[in-house]
Amino acid sequence: MNEYVGLAVSIVLAAGITGLMVVLGSTLGKKNPSAVKLSPFECGQEPFSLPMGRLVVKFYLTAILFILFDVELVFLYPWAVVYRTLGFLGLVEMGVFLSVLMVGFVYAWANGALDWK
Amino acid sequence: MNSTAGVADLALIIPELILLVTALALILLAPRIRRGPAAAVGTVLAALAAALASAWVLPSDTVTGFGGMITQDGYSGFFKILIAAALALAALLSVRGSDEDEDEDEAPRGEYHALLLLASIGMMLAVSTVDLLTLYLGLELMTICSYILVGFHVQRPTSNEAAIKYFLVASFASALLLYGISLTYGLAGSTGFATVASALSAHDPGRSPLVVVAILLVLGGLAFKIGAVPFHSWAPDAYQGASAPVAAFLAAGSKAAGLAALGRVTFVAYGSAAEVLSLLLAGLAALSIVVGSITLLAQTDMKRLLAYSSIAHAGYAILGLIAGTPAGISATMTYAFFYVFMTLGAFGVVIALGKRGATLDGYKGLAAQQPVAAALMLLFFLSLTGLPPTAGFVAKFVVILSAVRAGHMVLAVLAVACSVISAFVYMRVAVYMFMREPEEPAPSRWPVAVSAALAVAALVTLIGGISPASLMSWAVAP
Repeated sequence: MNEYVGLAVSIVLAAGITGLMVVLGSTLGKKNPSAVKLSPFECGQEPFSLPMGRLVVKFYLTAILFILFDVELVFLYPWAVVYRTLGFLGLVEMGVFLSVLMVGFVYAWANGALDWK
Repeated sequence: MNSTAGVADLALIIPELILLVTALALILLAPRIRRGPAAAVGTVLAALAAALASAWVLPSDTVTGFGGMITQDGYSGFFKILIAAALALAALLSVRGSDEDEDEDEAPRGEYHALLLLASIGMMLAVSTVDLLTLYLGLELMTICSYILVGFHVQRPTSNEAAIKYFLVASFASALLLYGISLTYGLAGSTGFATVASALSAHDPGRSPLVVVAILLVLGGLAFKIGAVPFHSWAPDAYQGASAPVAAFLAAGSKAAGLAALGRVTFVAYGSAAEVLSLLLAGLAALSIVVGSITLLAQTDMKRLLAYSSIAHAGYAILGLIAGTPAGISATMTYAFFYVFMTLGAFGVVIALGKRGATLDGYKGLAAQQPVAAALMLLFFLSLTGLPPTAGFVAKFVVILSAVRAGHMVLAVLAVACSVISAFVYMRVAVYMFMREPEEPAPSRWPVAVSAALAVAALVTLIGGISPASLMSWAVAP
């Protein structure tokens, strides 16, 4: 049970400090609202929009290519961890794996997946 | 597992490797072979090499590799040859005539054949694995390639619709299979067939409902792959929307792979729950045979007709598995073998006749215009009905015999009765071909490759009917 005391303390502290800041800000702060100030802030993006909006279909191909390299990385990482125990054969196997993946990439490239037309 | 075993294990998947190298080469060369039969020739050669590689190891003992995931035995060799044959015939049937107008689909041939090859690799993995997760992987490889193949003609709306439907329903079925696998893992602590079998034999399925649920889910997922009722709804739409060679490949190859997986899973992994299994399989078989044969009566589109026929045939093939004995499995293997050739043959005639072959009415008076095509269609439909002297008779005979031996008399009678019902449909085509006046002009000539595929299919259908023992002696249970 003891190990949860620290967790409880930090939750109480976090809630207390944030609550204090919100309460102090809303009671002591100067209020001068305008439409822009009241809008939610998200790095210049429109934070809320209906999902009916159109998206350029070209992003789809980019996403697929991203997955190609993502999968590659997912397999490369554990391979790198045990690289020394796998030895030379591990290197060859990873080479085969990468070249199979690259066939897909070359195919996509040759068919114009990278041309932003 | 040391790393030297890794290289030796590759010998177990030589047929798959041959297909893989060909598929990769086709993908790289795809821009150069947009047209023409080059890709088909490559695919057929690869399929032949894969079949030879499988046959070479056929009589040898069981070898297991890849950490107990992949096995090589007579069972996997048998089905690998069958899958390679289905691949070769489907590739031959995909060759288009030079005089056919190809304005409606600019289907790239290199990619098409690469997908056929990759789907076949998935099938071969599924028939040679002894681990539930690798089984899932193999079946998914097969199914994902099938989605693309079904929706391959991007310009054709029916093709897109079929692909979307197939994708949605098949994803659901895959989820069922995975859920069943996860429950099995929870019960057995492993996904290897042997471990699952020994762990489940400690459970009494009557008292442990979780075992039944796991079996139900796995069976449901696999029944989907072979298109057995009530998991059949995707088949007619997918076959109709797909081009005829793709439909033929799905009907033959994926059904053979699904049956092989079902056979090994029910016999090896869940063998200890034999009573539950035989009940569920009998239900699947009865539903598939009855629903398939009766809905067959209403079909006028040839691809839909063959789709419902394939549903009914899935039911017949399951009859052999109900007994749960090596003899029963071997009956199902025989059924799968002959079914692949007769259904590819029937699809082959549909493909050979082009647009005219697509509907039932197109067959009116065919015998007067194209006696060879009509005779071949008659042969394949006699075989699908199950009449001697064709392979279909032998196939139906062995599975129904197996059901009778297992004590399922009612089921056997049902199967025979439904054969008679379906005979009405198959023979109606024969009546159209031989006893009606032609209404449409004679179809144009079809490519040599299609003739070759038809000849092979007809040969196996005839030899299988006349001297079945020569082919059936290979069919040994795992």
